[in-house]
Amino acid sequence: MIKTKKIVINPVTRISGFMEINADIDNNIVEDARTEGLLFRGFEKMLEGRSPLDAVYFTQRICGICSAAHSVASTMALEDALGIHISEQGRYLRDIIHGCEFLQNHIRHFYQYTAPDFIKFPEGNTLFETDHTDFRLPQNKNDSVVGHYFDSLEYSRSAHEMLAILGGKAPHNHGVFIGGITTQATLEKISRLRSLIVGIRRFVCEKMIPDAYTIAEYYHEYFSIGGGYGNLLTFGCFNGYERLGSLYVKPLEYSEGKINELYPGEITETVYSSWYTARPETYMPFETIPEPDIKKSGAYSWVKAPRYRGLAYEVGPLARMWLSGDYRNGISTMDRTLARVLEAKKIANIMLTLLDHLIPGVEVQKEYDIPHSAYGAGLIDTTRGALGHWVKIENQVISLYQIITPSVWNLSTRDRNNLPGPGEKAMIGTMIINPDSPVELGRIIRSFDPCVSCATHVYSKGNLIKTMQVVP
Amino acid sequence: MNKVNNPCLNYSTRLKTASVLVHKAIEAIKHKDIQKRNLIWLELTGCSGNIISLLNGANPDFKSLASQMVNFIYDNSLMAAEGEAAMEKLYSMTGRDYILAVEGAVSTKDNGLYNIIGRWKGHPVTAYEVIKEFGEQAAYVIAVGTCASDGGISAARPNPAGCIGIQDMLDRKVIKLPGCPCHPDWFMGTLAYVMLFGEPETDNRQRPLMFYSTLIHDICPRRPYFDQGIFASKLGEKTCMFKLGCRGPVTRVDCPIRKWNDRVNWPIGDNTPCIGCAMFGFPDQMEPFISYDTT
Repeated sequence: MIKTKKIVINPVTRISGFMEINADIDNNIVEDARTEGLLFRGFEKMLEGRSPLDAVYFTQRICGICSAAHSVASTMALEDALGIHISEQGRYLRDIIHGCEFLQNHIRHFYQYTAPDFIKFPEGNTLFETDHTDFRLPQNKNDSVVGHYFDSLEYSRSAHEMLAILGGKAPHNHGVFIGGITTQATLEKISRLRSLIVGIRRFVCEKMIPDAYTIAEYYHEYFSIGGGYGNLLTFGCFNGYERLGSLYVKPLEYSEGKINELYPGEITETVYSSWYTARPETYMPFETIPEPDIKKSGAYSWVKAPRYRGLAYEVGPLARMWLSGDYRNGISTMDRTLARVLEAKKIANIMLTLLDHLIPGVEVQKEYDIPHSAYGAGLIDTTRGALGHWVKIENQVISLYQIITPSVWNLSTRDRNNLPGPGEKAMIGTMIINPDSPVELGRIIRSFDPCVSCATHVYSKGNLIKTMQVVP
Repeated sequence: MNKVNNPCLNYSTRLKTASVLVHKAIEAIKHKDIQKRNLIWLELTGCSGNIISLLNGANPDFKSLASQMVNFIYDNSLMAAEGEAAMEKLYSMTGRDYILAVEGAVSTKDNGLYNIIGRWKGHPVTAYEVIKEFGEQAAYVIAVGTCASDGGISAARPNPAGCIGIQDMLDRKVIKLPGCPCHPDWFMGTLAYVMLFGEPETDNRQRPLMFYSTLIHDICPRRPYFDQGIFASKLGEKTCMFKLGCRGPVTRVDCPIRKWNDRVNWPIGDNTPCIGCAMFGFPDQMEPFISYDTT
């Protein structure tokens, strides 16, 4: 029997972007685990010196599956900097666009990214061949989910069609902008949006949610695998409407069994274990953009580490559904998947409410003046969790642009206190049934819906230093 | 929303270009006139938005592509296998016939180590290495999206990852389908065309004429406003976006006809300027995207 073994999974497929999982196992138990992003583009550096207004379309190109999220956060940061108060109708329109992306993303994440971990496709298609045999659904149930894998394409596509009706195109929309969006709701658009959302909602309720519960029934141990810290955080979304109040969740955090109000001023990011230098090493978002430094000693990865009051937090659908009180079954791999599909229904309902309150023909655009110098933050929960954009303007151009994405929270690295990131923590302690086919690790990590395109980290072959620290 | 009163003469024919080609290819495969081809889709230094856009393809859709048209061998976002087993599928194509589709630019800094796409026999494989290895041998190479075509936003100044388009890596013809993202019709139509007839006719920037021969400005439904000098002063207006910085006058692609996402809308239809996302030089040469004082 194998006593100790090192597991490397690269590529971790069915995520957005490139990632490696490194795990050390001893007697089939994961003793230590690391998540590493394998892509660096440097958007924050690119944005310096550009027109602040261009950030909305520019930052969307960070990510092809969640581009609208960046347009929303970027717009909010600019509104904060320019001192613009968005109208109620502007918010409804923008939030409907954002909701379209939640649905597109959640449907694709469940069927195209998650389901192939648990269902067996018919032979003969290379794309669907797997390297493990842990398939447990009875034939008829398995085949039903396989059918829905393909049926789902119509509905994720519909969600992007809705996004384009208001936003021009998707991915990388043009509609989200300062003040809300660039177009007006017409009766024709509203009725088309309603007809599409009703179809999507029906698919989510009649197919996607039951399919997720079917998988949960046959893979029940995943309710006790991949828990992690159990610290949850949200920036809030679909909340704080003047007329409608909160339709979902406000900024909150959950730690040590208690839900507390969130104070965004207490967010820091550290590059302690990352190939960056920054002074100070742990900084507030407006303070500094770290410089790449592949020779930094003691670092083992390029993934940065955001913390709230010094703690690592999980973000995403489960965090939101837990903090809003909609889902309190547990914190685990399977709970993340269930929270995600249940959230899809919740978002569809919120969008129907927002559509009900749209007034046709309201124009929300103005001509905006760029101040000589200003700064602003846009903090919003998006499909994968808490997304923050922080912008500083000097001489009417961007002088600093800081982005902390949800996947940076979830895939963050060890800090000065040697605390692993939430994704790493979720893998540590897991029992791997067959170390030659460690299907558990991919399933745990995919439950976070990681997006490495968003995390924009660097990896360096010559400088990978293996840390063997004991995890507290 | 989908207006037919477009100034293009061959409007309805051009709308069908992609679906006619794809259906013809699928029929030809059924009748064994041509064979299914192997398709490798590499996601390199970019946002993986082109594979997402491909999933938005409607007529015909992704299922037809993956089940009736090609043997889909490799794609990071969609394949069921992971780790070494995934890479084995890619490397099983060495020395065989395949069509290579690439999205994303190639990062060249620090020997390409800013973008690792997987591990093969224990060693990290960079985007730089994989494009060299699979680009030269492919039957056809299709650059999907602006990053793969010309570097795109991944190469935006100061180009921190040292990104370049894939043509700069390869001593062979690359068919370029720029657009951020690439429209699913442009890819599906081009793929079907090469399977049926071989390389399509391209312009001097290697873009297929069937999709990239039209200047947006020439067939823009807002052209009458331009001709009469009626210009929008802010986003959200229904007139010509020229003075807000619209790049329609320099951008060659068929967006005004084809539109996006089941043909429901497009950027100018959304009362915003074209930002030239399908153009060589995007984004640096196309900025500012939005400006209130271009007169």
